[in-house]
Amino acid sequence: MAPIIQIQDVHKHFGHVKALRGVSLEIDKGEVVVIIGPSGSGKSTLLRCINRLEEFDQGQIIVDGIPLDSAENINSVRTEVGMVFQQFNLFPHLRVIDNLTLAQTVVRKRKKQDAINNALMLLEKVGIPEKAYNFPLQLSGGQQQRVAIARALAMNPKIMLFDEPTSALDPEMIQEVLDVMLNLAKEGMTMVVVSHEMGFARAAANRAILMDEGMIVEEATPAILFSNPTRERTKLFLSKIL
Amino acid sequence: MATSQHFQPPPVKTTPKEINEKIKFDRWWFLLMGVILLIIILITFKPDPFRRILFFVSDGISVTIFTTLVSFVLVLIFGLITGLARLSKITIIRGIATVYVEVIRGIPLLVQLMFWYFAFPSVIQSVGQALSIPSLIGYRANPIFMAILGLTFCYSAYMSEVYRAGIQSISRGQMEAARSLGMTFVQSMRYVILPQALRVILPPVGNEFITLLKDSSLVSVVAVADITRRGREFMAANFIPVNTWVMVALLYLVLTLFSARIVNWIEVKTRLER
Repeated sequence: MAPIIQIQDVHKHFGHVKALRGVSLEIDKGEVVVIIGPSGSGKSTLLRCINRLEEFDQGQIIVDGIPLDSAENINSVRTEVGMVFQQFNLFPHLRVIDNLTLAQTVVRKRKKQDAINNALMLLEKVGIPEKAYNFPLQLSGGQQQRVAIARALAMNPKIMLFDEPTSALDPEMIQEVLDVMLNLAKEGMTMVVVSHEMGFARAAANRAILMDEGMIVEEATPAILFSNPTRERTKLFLSKIL
Repeated sequence: MATSQHFQPPPVKTTPKEINEKIKFDRWWFLLMGVILLIIILITFKPDPFRRILFFVSDGISVTIFTTLVSFVLVLIFGLITGLARLSKITIIRGIATVYVEVIRGIPLLVQLMFWYFAFPSVIQSVGQALSIPSLIGYRANPIFMAILGLTFCYSAYMSEVYRAGIQSISRGQMEAARSLGMTFVQSMRYVILPQALRVILPPVGNEFITLLKDSSLVSVVAVADITRRGREFMAANFIPVNTWVMVALLYLVLTLFSARIVNWIEVKTRLER
């Protein structure tokens, strides 16, 4: 079976700054890939290229057999790819339940009641059913991020992208979000996670990737990459964050 | 699967913060009451000339309100269109909108109104003559129509900047989150960005409304019988300038203070729950 995400020699620059210089990566269905690297290494940019929040200058990305070229294709890929942001980006003017049902009704054209039932089921799954009728800003950071995960899941995506999902959280709230992600991984969701949470990577990831200066430096299983890396760059980076 | 009847919306509670807002809300109504009371006192205890002035000027009140309201509704629509055009990625659309805004903001409203009422019809007539179209040669400007056109054309330029600032104040992440859920640009604007932007811009929009209400007095120079023009007519006939303009000022004050209360009330109503 073809990989669900195929990234072929992708280049991207912001003005004179080269964010990505020829990244190629294939991710299979059901795989969990963790991307680490110093800030400015292009890891978030790569993630954002997968659902075309960022346009790239060269190369090709094919998601679930659909190349990201036309506007229609981009929209249909976005429907199949859920994204979780560092800053949650919940819609503050909508209650939690409406955050979860909006795209279901507008994009998926589901009936309101079906969307609500689906939303409540997902809120149960992420452990905060009692907050359905609150507004996002009344929730803690960890709860907000779990709502954001539920909101992405409400679209029944085939792939979930996580852009530093725990970086904006207080330390005691990180685990509740990671637990939700771990469960998701166990259920067989294809996940690409930009994160420095080693514990999560060791427990859930099939592969860990180190990026630096817009390129993939090293990829291996988390166990090997974290404890026995071959590249000097990887050793240096790990020595700084551990 | 969880069923919906387990999770009903909690009853709305009145928090101390809301009570506080209601008190504040009331206090400023007293200023409006005070002005209305002053008018009542003046016309009761000094009916000559105040009651005469009020009766003479009163048919201008509806003209002022009508002109302002119709212009404002149009300004809300064209301002939004222009504001979105100013944010467009397409250079030509953005360019046209920017030139429009810059030119209009650079010309006094009074001059613009003069143009629409006096110069524009004559341009139409010349075009009619050149092309020999009889209906255009006999074109006559309708004062109210031209006044509304002039106000709308001018205020839409200002309003577009308010919309633009409001939309830009919403973090990029909101648009990205909406797009990443598969929503189109228009859906994202409609359901995510504009509802938030409208809350942000409500105070400046209210401010624009009140400024428009006051600037509508300029239409008195283009033959629209609004409060100001009726005041001038009364003064010309009776030569009691102080009383006349005190009454006219008080009438505008009632309208503007009332509008300010309404704007404030909408603001409190739509504030985000935190």
